[in-house]
Formats: sequence, C-alpha cells, structure tokens
Amino acid sequence: MSGYLKLAGKNLLRHRTRSVLTMLGIAASVGVLFSVLSFNKGFTEGLAVELERTGLHFMVVPSGCAHEVAALVLHGAVIPKFLDTKVMEHVTATAGIDMATPILVAQLPDQQRGKIDLIYGVDMSVLSAIKPGWEITGKIPDQDNEILLGYEVAQHEKLQPGDQFSTGGGANLLVSGIVGLTGSQDDAFVYLPIKTAQKLLDHPAAATAIGVKVTDPTRMVEITDALTAAVPGIQIVTMGEVMNSISNLAASARALSLAIVLIAILISAVGVMNSILMAVFERTQEIGMMRAVGASRWDIFRIILEETTILSLSGGLVGILISILGSRLIEAFVRSVMPFVPSGNLISFDPVVAAGSVLFIFIIGLCAGIYPALKASKINPVEAIKG
Amino acid sequence: MIELKQIEKNYRRGAEEVRALRGVDLSIAAGELLAIIGPSGAGKTTLLHILGCLDQPSKGDVLFDGVNTSNMPESELVQLRREKIGFVFQQFYLIPGLSVFDNIALPLLFSKKQASRSKILALAEMVGLEHRLDHAPAQLSGGEMQRAAIARGLVNDPEVLLADEPTGNLDSENSDKIYALLRSLSQNGLATVMITHNTELAARAQRTVQIRDGLVHP
Repeated sequence: MSGYLKLAGKNLLRHRTRSVLTMLGIAASVGVLFSVLSFNKGFTEGLAVELERTGLHFMVVPSGCAHEVAALVLHGAVIPKFLDTKVMEHVTATAGIDMATPILVAQLPDQQRGKIDLIYGVDMSVLSAIKPGWEITGKIPDQDNEILLGYEVAQHEKLQPGDQFSTGGGANLLVSGIVGLTGSQDDAFVYLPIKTAQKLLDHPAAATAIGVKVTDPTRMVEITDALTAAVPGIQIVTMGEVMNSISNLAASARALSLAIVLIAILISAVGVMNSILMAVFERTQEIGMMRAVGASRWDIFRIILEETTILSLSGGLVGILISILGSRLIEAFVRSVMPFVPSGNLISFDPVVAAGSVLFIFIIGLCAGIYPALKASKINPVEAIKG
Repeated sequence: MIELKQIEKNYRRGAEEVRALRGVDLSIAAGELLAIIGPSGAGKTTLLHILGCLDQPSKGDVLFDGVNTSNMPESELVQLRREKIGFVFQQFYLIPGLSVFDNIALPLLFSKKQASRSKILALAEMVGLEHRLDHAPAQLSGGEMQRAAIARGLVNDPEVLLADEPTGNLDSENSDKIYALLRSLSQNGLATVMITHNTELAARAQRTVQIRDGLVHP
C-alpha cells in the first residue's frame, strides 16, 4: 500500500463514525443506482424471454389501446370488447399462419355470492406455452368443466385441487389445479377452457384476442397487412410492439427513479465534500506541520484526494454488496407496485454494470474531493502552525 | 551555514501594518546550539519560520550554505526543507492515527525515500523510544511525544534543526531531557536553533540571542 493511501486511510479512521456515515451515504446511492440499472436489465431481459416463450408472433385484438394488449398477453387484463367469431375464421384462413389460439378474458358477476370472478379462457393445450413461468399444483384442465385457480382466488375461496368452484350462472366447476404465487395479476384469475368461458359469458365463439404464430416470421409484415386489409375493426400488435409498450411504461418509472438516484448521488457527494472539508479544517495545524517537514502542495492535495477516493470506492463496493443482498426485497417491492412485471428474476446483476456504477461514484467522489483538497493544499503553513 | 542579512518582515493584521522583524542580522554555524529568547510577539517564531524557509522575508537575504533562498520558487524551498531542515514544534503535532514509527517516518514519505526499519530504530534508540515504536501518540507522555517529534525532525538527516519552544509543554524533568538531547545533537555537528521562554535552559546553550522589537540583541 502506498504511504499516501495508508496515511489517508488512517486519517479517515480517526473519525470512524463520520467516515462510516459518509461512506454509507455513498453506499446507499450507489446501491440504488445499481439496483435501478440491474432492474432495468432484468426487466427487459425477462420481458423478452417471457414474450419469446409464448411462441406467438402477434396478437389480433379489437381496435384499441396497445397497452391493454400488452397487459392481456402477459397478465390477462380485461378489454371491454370482443372479436367477432368470423375473425378467427379469417385468421386461420390467412396464408402463412401456423397456429392461432383465441383468448377470452372477461369479468363474470356472481349475484349469489356477491362477487365478480375474473375469467381467462384459453385453449388449455397452449396454456403452458403462454404462461411458461407458472408452477401448478394439480394439473392443467383437460375437461370442459375443469378450471385452474390463480393463487389469490384459491386462498380467498379456500379451495384445493379436487374441490368444486361455483361461479356466476350457477355453474359448478372442478378445480383441477392451482397456480403458485406469481406476485402479478395472474393470481386473481380463474383459468378455464375457452369453450367453457364462452358458454359462461353467453358469447359462443367470442374472443378478446387471438394469439397467432406464423410459419415464417420474415413474412410477418406481409401477413399482418393482409389480415388488416381483410378484417375491419381489428388491430394487430406484434410481440415487439407489446414489448415496446411495456418497456415504455417501465421507462417512465425508470427515468423517475434515475432522477431520484442522481439527486441522492449529488447529496452524498456534498456529504463527502462536507466531511472531508471538516477533516481539513480540523487538521489545519497538522497540514502546516506536514508542509514544514517537506510536504509540497501536491502532496497535501494527494492525501486529501485519496481520502475521498477511499470513501467513494468503499462506499461504491458496499453499495453494490447491499444491492445484491437486498435484491429479493427490492424485487418483492417492485412486484407489489408495478402492474406488469415478467416472471423470473427481475434484477439481473451484471459485473460490467457493477463496475460502471463504482467507476461513476469514484469519479463523482474525485470531483467532490477536489475542492477540499485544493483548500488543504493552499493552507499557509506559517498561519497553520501558529494556530 | 545559515546567514540572515538585514531581514525585515512586515505583514498586515487587519488595518494595522506589523513590522515583525526590522533588520535582523544573524548567522548560525554547523554544530552550534543557539537559543533565541524574547517576549511574546517579539518576532521569534517569525524568525524561525524564515530560517526554515517556511516564510519569505519582506526584505533582506537568507543564505543557506551560501545560496540565497529569498527569491527561490516554492518547489525549491520544499526541496530545501526536505533535505536540509528539521522542525520541532511546541505542540509536537504527531498524527494520532499513526504509530510512533510511522510518525517518525512521515517526512520520508514526502522526500520519496524508503522508511528503512533500521534507520527509524536507530533514531528511536537515540531519543529513547525504541520500545514505543508500535504505540500510538496518545499512549506516550509529553516528553516522549516531543522526543518522537525530534526523531521525526531528524529522519531526513537535516543540516539544521529548528525547535519552536520544544520544552514549552513539558515539566522540568522532561525539559532537561529534551535539552540534553538537543545539546548532544549539536555536539554531533547538527546546527540547532531553539526558541525558548525557559531562561535557565537558554543560559546553558552555546549561544543565546534575544529578540526585542523585531531586532536581535546578543
């Protein structure tokens, strides 16, 4: 270890509490910065994986808001419009379509129990492809009268696989399985075969959306153009657009978070400057002594700057560590407040992002240290020694 | 070795112009122990700072080994302080977070020299602190602290040791020990200048000068 670094470190240890608090201020801001950046990366990656896993290339929905479509694809939002049954026929008749599966999401009031069930009708053979992250207790329904319950519904109704579930219209359905806790809106739905859902809603062959897989993704534009021209009143949203829609929603939250993080970093930088300035003032006579025994202005500048370097780097590393250790808590919090979150790890730690965060705070720390270091280097040794 | 010629030092204290030194002539030879006495505010410390190239005179010449330092640039003055001058202060100014060893070795950091253990140990033995090298300054007595500060002042093998009231914070027993140490250093060829209020110690010095009203009186 260089003598300057050792001296700087020993100086910081003279006021342990102050140094630790200053360092923790940096750690907190770096931790949040790293978490936001890691969340951004994890969210984008998770979203891309989730969309890719559905195996669908685009969704056909009634004309409306793309955000609702995005919500529908991932978490079953209710869209107050249905597609005409003929649309499904047009879709399947369009050249280049490999597979099309209708999805029916709706609210089903139950007057007797005084509640509204959220139902998600889908072809059960594609459910595991559309919802790849689910852990199911029991089995996916294979009969028309079987259903799958979201975690919250099962908890609220106190139902287990094998129990009966009564819904609006007096229908009794058999619970074949329960979806494990996802922390998303999926927990609030009742999943059932689309034919059963259509029957319960009294909308035979109706669908909220149709998920489509094409034979050749390079021909997607051609296929969607043909479909849009053939069927009026529909909107086609590709998975890329869905991803953009959700990413845009997340981006505004992210921008706000980053702005807050930058303010926190600025505050911690001012904290560093204040802490080091106090140390400089307290050590004025000592700095005078060092000048007398041979220290140049640059020597003094360097010692003070190395103190800020130690604070910044240690704060940065501790912040990264805290961020990694606290990632579960952060993830749970984000899942509880954000409407659309992909399954899997929301926070993706990347060593490059970690190194970048530490480098960033190191540079900020250096900037914060320049003024106190200059101040210290300009101390007049004669005045300082006189006290 | 050091020669001051017609040194004047003026500075401002608020609106008032202070004439701290008014034409001081003084020379110090190698191996000499010079005691400077005088009332507070007479200019003793100002003179010591000019001798140590920490401060520049308003007028006059400071010759160090025949070289005039009055108009030297800051970088050369720093080099001169590192190589030829040792300082000892009344308040010791040991760094609390460093061990006695590291405090003694501190000037070597600035002169970019390796702190050899044998050299520090030799200096510690000379000032009687060889058993205290790993201790913190707070664990030392006042006399031990000043001896550590003297060892620090000697670590760069200076030609002159400038001590500003080195016994000012010590009892008579420790003052005697410090004086004996300074005396033995000068007997070994080191020019030693000591500011003191202790007239008894000053009387034992090889030469004593008095500063009064900014002028040196033999």
